[in-house]
Amino acid sequence: MSITLTINGEEHEVEAAPDTPLLWVLRDHLGLTGTKYGCGVAQCGACTVHVDGVPRRACVAPVGSVAGKAVVTIEGVSGPEADAVREAWTELAVPQCGYCQSGQIMSAVALLKSRPSPSDDDIDRGMAGNICRCATYVRIRRAIKQAAGEGER
Amino acid sequence: MSRWLPCALLMLAIGCDDCGEDEPEPVADPLPGTAGLRSVADFADIADEEARSVALFEEMGKVLTHPRCVNCHPIGERPLQRAGEPHQPHVVRGEDGHGAPGLPCASCHGESHFRTVPGNPEWHLAPAEMAWEGKSLAAICGQIQDPERNGGKDMEALLEHMESDALVAYGWDPPEHLEPAPGSQALFGQLARQWAATGAHCPPEPTGDVEGPAEASEDEVSPEAGEASAPTEKAE
Amino acid sequence: MPSSPPASSFLRLGRRGFAAGAGSLVLGVVLRRHLRADAPGPLADVEGGDASPDLWIALEEDGTARITCHRSEMGQQVWTAMCQLVAEELEVPWEKVVVEQALGDPKYGDQNTDGSRSVRFNFTRLRIAGAAMRQMLEQAAATRWGVGAAQCRGVQGEVVHEGSDRRLPYGELAAAAAALTPPPERRIQLKDPDQWRYVAKPTPSLTIPAIVKGEGTFGIDVRLPEMLYAVVARPPQVLGSVRSFDDTAARRVPGVVRTIQLPAITAPVAFKPLGGVAVVARNTWAAIRGREELEVEWEAGPNASYDSEAYAETLFAQVREAGRVRRERGDTMGALDSAHQRVEAEYYVPHLAHSMMEPPAATARWDGDRVECWACTQNPQAARSTVAQVCGVPEANVTVHVTWLGGGFGRKSKQDFVAEAALLAREMGKPVKVTWTREDELRHGYYHTVSAQRLEGALDESGACTAFLHRTVFPPIASTFQEGANEPGWGDLRLGASDTPFAVPHLRLETGEAEAHVRIGWLRSVANIYHAFAVQSFVAELAHAAGRDPKDYLLELIGPPREIDPRTEGAEYDNYGSSMDTHPIDTGRLRAVTEMVAELADWGRTLPEGHGLGIAAHRSFTSYVATVVEVAMVDDRLTIPAVWSVMDAGTVVNTDHALSQLEGGTLFGLSNALYGEITAKDGAIVQDNFPRWRVMRMNESPPRMEARLVPSGAPPGGVGEPPTPPAAPALANAIFAATGTRVRRLPIFGADRRDRLGGAR
Ligand code: FES
Ligand code: FES
Repeated sequence: MSITLTINGEEHEVEAAPDTPLLWVLRDHLGLTGTKYGCGVAQCGACTVHVDGVPRRACVAPVGSVAGKAVVTIEGVSGPEADAVREAWTELAVPQCGYCQSGQIMSAVALLKSRPSPSDDDIDRGMAGNICRCATYVRIRRAIKQAAGEGER
Repeated sequence: MSRWLPCALLMLAIGCDDCGEDEPEPVADPLPGTAGLRSVADFADIADEEARSVALFEEMGKVLTHPRCVNCHPIGERPLQRAGEPHQPHVVRGEDGHGAPGLPCASCHGESHFRTVPGNPEWHLAPAEMAWEGKSLAAICGQIQDPERNGGKDMEALLEHMESDALVAYGWDPPEHLEPAPGSQALFGQLARQWAATGAHCPPEPTGDVEGPAEASEDEVSPEAGEASAPTEKAE
Repeated sequence: MPSSPPASSFLRLGRRGFAAGAGSLVLGVVLRRHLRADAPGPLADVEGGDASPDLWIALEEDGTARITCHRSEMGQQVWTAMCQLVAEELEVPWEKVVVEQALGDPKYGDQNTDGSRSVRFNFTRLRIAGAAMRQMLEQAAATRWGVGAAQCRGVQGEVVHEGSDRRLPYGELAAAAAALTPPPERRIQLKDPDQWRYVAKPTPSLTIPAIVKGEGTFGIDVRLPEMLYAVVARPPQVLGSVRSFDDTAARRVPGVVRTIQLPAITAPVAFKPLGGVAVVARNTWAAIRGREELEVEWEAGPNASYDSEAYAETLFAQVREAGRVRRERGDTMGALDSAHQRVEAEYYVPHLAHSMMEPPAATARWDGDRVECWACTQNPQAARSTVAQVCGVPEANVTVHVTWLGGGFGRKSKQDFVAEAALLAREMGKPVKVTWTREDELRHGYYHTVSAQRLEGALDESGACTAFLHRTVFPPIASTFQEGANEPGWGDLRLGASDTPFAVPHLRLETGEAEAHVRIGWLRSVANIYHAFAVQSFVAELAHAAGRDPKDYLLELIGPPREIDPRTEGAEYDNYGSSMDTHPIDTGRLRAVTEMVAELADWGRTLPEGHGLGIAAHRSFTSYVATVVEVAMVDDRLTIPAVWSVMDAGTVVNTDHALSQLEGGTLFGLSNALYGEITAKDGAIVQDNFPRWRVMRMNESPPRMEARLVPSGAPPGGVGEPPTPPAAPALANAIFAATGTRVRRLPIFGADRRDRLGGAR
C-alpha cells in the first residue's frame, strides 16, 4: 500500500503495510539510517523521532499512523534547541560510540523545547527513556544544561 | 478502567446540561455475568439495601483494583505496568497527566495498540488526588464519590463515565499479553448504576489500618521493576 | 555501494596489487615502497610492528592527510587517538586530518580491538610513521631549496626553512617525498612530550561532529544495491539444532523471499554460527515478521539441562573444596589455621550480556568465489578467517570492511554474525544483511562467565592480615575454543586473581573446575569484574573484622611502593601483553590513585543519615583505577548521589576521551552490579529484551560524578576497560557502610533483591 509521508519537510511515497513500524520504513525504505534500532519495544529510545513536534519511538509507531504528519529525524532536526544541543554535544564530547545519540539528541531537543531551563529532575524524567550502554549520562546531563545556557560553573 | 476521571472532567466542561440531579434508576435488564464479574441480578436476593449496595461495590472492586485500572492511578507519580510493577522506563505523571517534558506518554503509547505497547488517543495518567493504588475498597469508594477527589463529578457523570468512556474501555481491551479487567464495561456500568440506585453505600474499612505503599521516590536507583515479570510479557 | 561507504582503502601508488578504495577519489601521493615482497622497508619492524609511513598516511595535494586507523571505532575514540599519534609527529593541522578505516589485513599487525591495547601497542610505531613522513617531506624541501635538511622543519602542514623563512606546503612536496626511502629508525626524531600539540591533550573527536548529525555508517546501516535482509531463528540451546521446520506461514508474510536452514554447529563453538533457520526478506521488518511465523522444532542438544539456579549451587559446592594451587607465597593454609581471627566470605557474580546498543549486524556480497563483508567487527582479521573457514574459501578471497561499532564490549570480537551473512549471501546470490534483534543479542551471546569465589583471611591480634586465600571457580573462556575445557586458564587468572598485589606474608590462589553450558566470552574488563568484586569487597570485610577504616586497611594491604611479579610465586603472568619492565605492577601507583580518590571524595567526612562511602582500587590492563561510591539508603531505597574515580593510565593520548571512558566505564560497572544478570533455564537464556535485562538509565545514574586522570609520563596503559572493575566493589562497600548489609551476590537488584540485600551468602 502506498503511503505519503512528510519527513524532514520532504514528501515521500512509500510502499509499505500501514502497520510497519516507521523505524524500518525510515531505515530500509528511505535510507535514513540515522534513526537507530536498539530494542524494538519502546524501551531504549534509540529510534526517537519527532512527530508533529512530539517525540515518538519510531519502532512502535505504525507508519500508517504518521501519514499526513510532520516527521522529523536526526538528519533533519533543526532550530535553536537543536543547534544548541549539537553544539554542546560536540563541545563536551558527549558521544562515545554514538549509536544511542540520535535518540538522545532527539529527546534532549524535545525536552528543551518544553523546558528551556531543565532541572536535574527534569533531565532525569525527560531522558529516562533513552539507554546509553556506553553510559555517557554524566556528559548528557552536563550538555543539556550547557545547551540551556546554564553551563556548569 | 484506568484514567477515566480526567476524561470525565472534560465531559463535564462540554456537556453537563444533561447531568441530572435525579436519583439513579435501578437497572432494568441485567446483563449476565461474564469473565469473572457477576451480574446485577446475582445481588437481587440480598434483602437489605445497604448490604446489597455494599456487595455491588465490592463486585465493582474487582475491576477498580485490577491492574488495568490501578496501574494508572498510582500513589506516586510513576505508573505501574503489567501485573503492577513500576513502569519501565521510569516515566512520570507530569503536570497534566501526559508525562514529562521530553518523555510524554505519547512517545510510546500511540492511538492504538502496537503489538505489546497499549495505545489510546487519550492515554494518560490519573491526577495524583485520584490515586488509589494500595488503598482499601472503602477508601476508594469514598474517594470516587468526593468531587474534590474525583474531578468534580456528580453521581450521574461518574456513572456515565464508567459506562461509556473510551479510555475506561481500554481496561477490557488491552493488548493480548495483558489480562483484561473482569467482565465487560457494560456489565461494570450496570453494577455501578445499581450500586448508586441502592444508595451508593461503601464497604466498612477493614480492621487494621491499610496503608498505601510509600511514595515512590523520583531518583531511586532501584525502581523495583523488571522484577517478577513473566518472561513472555512485553513492556506495557 | 553503501550510501556512505565505510572507507576502507585508498589509492596508493606503487603498492602491489592494492585496489583503489570504494568511492575514493583520492589522488594519493604516497611514499614509494621498495618491493616489499623482496625487501621490507626500513621501518617495517619497529616496536609494535610496521611503521612504514605509506602504510599509514596518504597526503593529498591540498594538504589533506589521510591517516589509516587499523583498529575498530566503538566509542573509545580510537580514530581520534590513532590520528593524534600520527598527526602529532607528521605536524599537520588537525582540520586537515581525514581518517580512513583499514580493511582486515595482517599487514597492519594485530587488529583485534580489545584488551585495551590500541594505544598501548601502537603508541611508538604510529608516531614513528608520522615522524618518518615528516622527515621525508623535510628532505624533499631541502633538496628543492638546496639547503641542508637539518634547517628544514615540518610545522603544521608546511616545511619551513629556518634560515630564510621560506615555506612549502606539504601537498606540494608530497610527490617528491614519495620518491624517497623512509629513514631508518635510528634517524627518526620524535618530539619531546613538552612539544606535543595533540597528544595528552583534549584533541577534538573525529567522529562526534558526524554523530550529532546522524551521519556515519554503523554495521546495521550498511546498504548495498539489491541487498536482502535476514534475521535468523537460532537454536535456544548452544549446540542445539533444527529437528524440522515449517515455513509455510513465514513465506506468506509480504516481503519474505525465502527461508534457509543454516548448518548445525559443532563443538567447539568458537566463532562459528549457531545454526538455525534464516528468513530472508526485502526489508528488516518483513524478515522479523517472517521469523515470528516460522515454526521450528528444535533438538535441544547436550546443554538442555543448564539451569542457573542449580548451577550456582554447583559452583558454591566446588568453591568450598580445596582447589588447585596457582600462586603461593609462604604457608597460607598454616597461617589460616593458626590465625587469631579467621574471616571467610563467598561471592557470586552471574552471567552478563554485552548489550551494546547496536546489536551485531553484518552484510556480505559474493562475486564468484570471493566475498566482501561489511561488519561492526572488533576483529576484522578474525572475521576474515572465520568467514574463510565457514565458507570453505581461502582467506585471501575474503575482504572485511569495518564499519563503526555501536559499542563492542567484547561481543563484536566474536565473528559468528559475519559468517552468517557470508553464508546467506552466497545462498541467495545477492548481498544479504543479517541483523540481530535485541532478543537475539541477549539470547545468543558469548556471555561473561558465571563465578563463585571464596576468600579467607587470617588476622593477627593487631588486626593485620597475615594470610590471604583466594579460590575462584568459573567456566573458563577456553571452553569456547576447546571442548570440555573446564579449568580457569592463566589468561583468566591474570585478570585480577594471580596478580593481587597485597603485602601479606602468606598468599594463595586456588582454582576449581567448572563446565560451560553456554558460549563464554569476554566482556569489558573480563575476569577483573568478578575478581575485583570479590577481592576488593573482602578487603573491606577484613577491615570491618579488624575494626579499621576500609581505606586505611586497603592501603595497608597494598603496602609500600614496590613492584610485584607473580611469576616468582608460581603464576604464569603475561601482564596484558606488555613488558613487566615498561609496565610493572607498581603498588606505588595503586596507592596513589587510592589516596587521590579518597581525597577527592573527602573520605572520612561526616555523612548524612543513611549514606555510606565505599572504596575500591584495582590494576588492570596495566592501568590503575580507584573509585569511591556514595550511596544513600533511605526508606529501603538505594540511590547513588555521587561517584569519584581516579585513573593512572600512564601517558594518555586524549585526556578528554580518557575521562569519558573513566566515567562511562565506571557506570558500566555500576550498571552490571545493580542489575546485570543473565540466567538460563533448560539451557536457554531467560532474558529477552529490556527491561528483563536491565541497564542503568539517566535517572539511575549518579547526578554527581568526578573523574580525574593522574598526570603521568609512564608508557600508556589501557583506558577502555580499567575503569570498570573497581565500580562494583566500591558500590557494595558503600552499601555496607550505609546499611551494615554485605552484598556478596550480584546483581544487587535481582528478582529477589530483598534477599540479596539481606545478605544471603
Ligand atoms: S528501538 Fe525503539 S525504543 Fe528501542
Ligand atoms: S554512546 Fe554508545 S550507547 Fe550511547
